[in-house]
Amino acid sequence: MKKTLLKAEHIRCGYGGDPVVKDISFQVDEGESLCILGPNGCGKTTLLRGLAGILPVEGEVSVEGQSLAGMSARQRGRRIALMSQLSETYFAYTVYETVMLGRYVHRKRGLFAGKNPEDESIVEESLRKVGMLPLADRLITELSGGQLQRVYLARTFAQDPQVILLDEPTNHLDLKYQVELAEHLKEWAGRGNRCLVGVFHDINLALSFADRVLLMENGRIAALEQAEHFKPELLNEVYGLDVGAYMRSALKRWEEGDKNEPLSKPV
Amino acid sequence: MESKRKFLLLIAAALAAVILGIGLGSVMISPVKILTVLGEELLPRAQTPGGGASRTEEGTGGSGADASRAEEPGESGDNASRAEEPGESGGGASRVDNVTRTLVMQIRLPRVLLAFLVGAAMSVCGVVMQSVLKNPLASSYGLGVSAGAGLGAALVIVTGASGLLGAILLPGVSFGFGLITVILVLGITSRIDRGLSNVTIVLVGMVLSLFFTAVMNLLAALSPAYSQRINLWLLGSFSMKDWSSVAALAAVLVLCLGVFAGFSREMDIMTFGEEQALGMGVDLKRCKWILIGTVAVLTGTAVAFAGIIGFVDLVAPHVVRRFFGSSHRRVLPASALFGGAFMVLCDLAARTLASPREIPVGSVTALLGAPFFLYIYFAKGRRKG
Repeated sequence: MKKTLLKAEHIRCGYGGDPVVKDISFQVDEGESLCILGPNGCGKTTLLRGLAGILPVEGEVSVEGQSLAGMSARQRGRRIALMSQLSETYFAYTVYETVMLGRYVHRKRGLFAGKNPEDESIVEESLRKVGMLPLADRLITELSGGQLQRVYLARTFAQDPQVILLDEPTNHLDLKYQVELAEHLKEWAGRGNRCLVGVFHDINLALSFADRVLLMENGRIAALEQAEHFKPELLNEVYGLDVGAYMRSALKRWEEGDKNEPLSKPV
Repeated sequence: MESKRKFLLLIAAALAAVILGIGLGSVMISPVKILTVLGEELLPRAQTPGGGASRTEEGTGGSGADASRAEEPGESGDNASRAEEPGESGGGASRVDNVTRTLVMQIRLPRVLLAFLVGAAMSVCGVVMQSVLKNPLASSYGLGVSAGAGLGAALVIVTGASGLLGAILLPGVSFGFGLITVILVLGITSRIDRGLSNVTIVLVGMVLSLFFTAVMNLLAALSPAYSQRINLWLLGSFSMKDWSSVAALAAVLVLCLGVFAGFSREMDIMTFGEEQALGMGVDLKRCKWILIGTVAVLTGTAVAFAGIIGFVDLVAPHVVRRFFGSSHRRVLPASALFGGAFMVLCDLAARTLASPREIPVGSVTALLGAPFFLYIYFAKGRRKG
């Protein structure tokens, strides 16, 4: 029996006014990957922000039984990290500097805290993992969206938390990197005392990547299932589209060149 | 290392600017003489036993007093050249004469140092504001500190306090108003938006800044007797150039630089935006309060001594980042050096270009700075593009 690492109980959060996330509870075990699916505006990103402590939440989030509510930002940063959706930056740091910033929660604070060889080797290892080591001295303002995404992923690896929350990490990535990234993440989660929670847009990737799937609708849980038991029919109502039929027809069009197959069917 | 060489170059340039600033003026002083005076004054009694110290006293008490009165800036700018003439006759001697010595030590050097310190302080504040607010357009202006401090000064001027009382009140009140402005901005922001988000801070700062500027203009319009003084002060000047203001500003600058340096990694992270900073374990709210508060102290002090001088705080950080990258460990010291040197040159231009009149240094910064900035930006940008 694996131990529970991340536990969320009766989470409500939002941006003032009515909460976007209304009473969500779930838990994630050590080594497990949970994938959150749901249509636009259902509260996926808001939920991640609440879990990461970026938005104030009602309810309780805990890692290894310790509530995050009373923790300092640094303590929280050692346990849980959010890799947000890509944002442009004006400030030109090198790739290496950017990833080194991920070590912030582990490095000593203050003026004279020097670099530590352990930090350096972790940063290099993280860069190698996402294939950005050769570009370590490039400025992040000169990178493509996909490269920048990989740098931020390396930074999250360097932060080395117990829980990584991912907000659509495969945006901007080529198919090859999407698959590689999913593999890196799974490998990371398998290294003991770690787990993953990710929001993915791509349902295929989500179902092949995750151990369990949490389907959200209107700020609530519509379904929470093991990925292998997850039926695409569950998605139909939430997305307002026959998802399974869409996938099958897309595959058919592609494999058989049958352009007459309609792409979507009403539910 | 590459950046080490750049730093050495920058330090050399800053020293050159200081020497130029001391040397040029209605009386020219050669670098050799300046260095001789500085050497003798700063290393007292080393090479001339009993000489250095006593000569200084002579200088300040005797003929030097005339010179110090003469180069008193602003209103009396035009007799400066006349009164300084005598200095030239003795300038050819191998030993540095007392008039030159006094001119360097009592007039030019404190003025140049004050300009350097103000430039350094403003640039560093610009760096911090831009990073904390993740906004390359941010500056102390934008936060309303300068406008608040200016309003305080205008109030003191309008009440007609002059002489010693005015000399103490003016910097004191303007500093206090600068600080109050920041507290207001952050207070109002936290009322509107508990998370103290950047956009709200910039917006509130902008609104208050414009409001205070309007009140200031109103004051100037309603009291024509003082309007000229207010306007002069608003454009900035290094006229209050005695050693005590240099010492006060230097002390505040060193303290604030220490605070900024201690938060340099947090600032690095904050440039990536609030969400990422929070996710990476930075205590954002606390960092923001401390950093913005420190900016307020430093800007308030600088404005109190020199009036409102814009542009440097906005532009110096951008120029420096072009050469040194964005990491605050390098940007902070480099901005201080660059901003200081730049301000010394601006002040030099302000008092020599239209000599014997003095151009307000606040307009010189933009006059020299804008073309320089565009050159740096586009020249380097093209190579990259």
